[in-house]
Amino acid sequence: MNAELFENLRLELRRGCLILAVLAELRTEHYGYALRKALADRGMAIDENTLYPLLRRLETQGLLVSEWREEDKRNKRFYRLSSDGEIILKQLLDEWNSINSSVSRIIEGEPITEELSI
Amino acid sequence: MELLDRYLYAVRSGLPKGQQDDIIAEMGEDIRSEIEDLETGLGRPVNETEVVEILKERGHPAKVASHYLPQQYLIGPALFPIYQLVLKIVVLVVLLPVFLFVVAPIAIATVAHPTQALIKTLWDLAMSAVFTVGVVTVVFAIMERYPVKFQGFDNWDPRRLPRIPKSTTESRGTLRATAVFELAASLIAATLFVAWFRTTFDLGGIRITLAPVWRSIYWPSLLVILSGVPKGWVSLIWPERRRLRFGFRVAINAATLILVAVLLNAGTWVDLTGPGFPAGGLVEAANWTNFGIKISLIITAVIAAADAIPEGLRLFRKKTSWNYSTAT
Repeated sequence: MNAELFENLRLELRRGCLILAVLAELRTEHYGYALRKALADRGMAIDENTLYPLLRRLETQGLLVSEWREEDKRNKRFYRLSSDGEIILKQLLDEWNSINSSVSRIIEGEPITEELSI
Repeated sequence: MELLDRYLYAVRSGLPKGQQDDIIAEMGEDIRSEIEDLETGLGRPVNETEVVEILKERGHPAKVASHYLPQQYLIGPALFPIYQLVLKIVVLVVLLPVFLFVVAPIAIATVAHPTQALIKTLWDLAMSAVFTVGVVTVVFAIMERYPVKFQGFDNWDPRRLPRIPKSTTESRGTLRATAVFELAASLIAATLFVAWFRTTFDLGGIRITLAPVWRSIYWPSLLVILSGVPKGWVSLIWPERRRLRFGFRVAINAATLILVAVLLNAGTWVDLTGPGFPAGGLVEAANWTNFGIKISLIITAVIAAADAIPEGLRLFRKKTSWNYSTAT
């Protein structure tokens, strides 16, 4: 029960972070498999069944652009952040930093000096 | 790579139309890259077992394809509470009372075999409930797929919310007093019932003869009257077992409804005879008496059903330990 509960909460916590990690990593152009490896190398392993649908959704939302290109004699789909994606990523990073510092203060029991609104 | 092609073909069939080629091309490329990486690590081509492992790691084709589908549920979390409420209202507040108060009494009172009529009515009720639930579900599924903005969640005012009932829970003292009263009332009523029950009464020279149906329900009636004893006893011993009390009350009301239905089915409940009284007058008096009994029985049925429905709803309501009065 506790393991299952922890797993559900962990996935919930990771969901938003994954979007942030994918957007941040795609400031540099990657094709799908290379993106997956780059994220895993930085400690953010992501299942392919989660990553590819997420990439499609972010592209539909206009945050990513993609193109099919040949590399090493194979057709690969390369993704990178769009101009809208760059703006959103900056806003999300500000929000992330704000949440992160607020949660740290809460955990350490320090008085709250600025309002946290989610 | 025959296995890979077969896998991709199987995934493809579950993907949304119009995106199949694109998704499959990208998926194929991803798996080939993984195989290539593995081959580099091993220093040799992968064998069939290793390909099988890679594909199994990815998941069943249907499961993999499902990640690309736009909607995974029939009725989403935003609409689901309203769907539940509508179902409760339609089934418990509309369908059930209509069958209990209108369809069932008419069906039972107008046929020769009340048991068959009762079974048929219950079957019709079940079928109507299934049909109604189906229609409501389809309507909500359509609403989910083609969402219409529901204004109720935006245009609301906290001042229009219903007031909190003064007391949502019975105090222990009230509960104990009610239990003792129930016990005593049940025993007294049973004693009076046994002592006074006759098939004939003499009243001012007129003999009142009860119809045979009264004799047939003698023991069931006594049981219903005496059911207050265990119910009161349960309330005294386990005051915290609210669901058991609600269940008892629903069962007693249901038994009462069945007895009333059996009585209503008889049509005539008393006969009047009396030497020296005009026959026409006695018939008219008997008709009026029977009419009065009929009205009383219907009122009894309405009261029993009106008591059973809220108790039944409480029985199925989710358990909660939160109490407004303790939270404020």
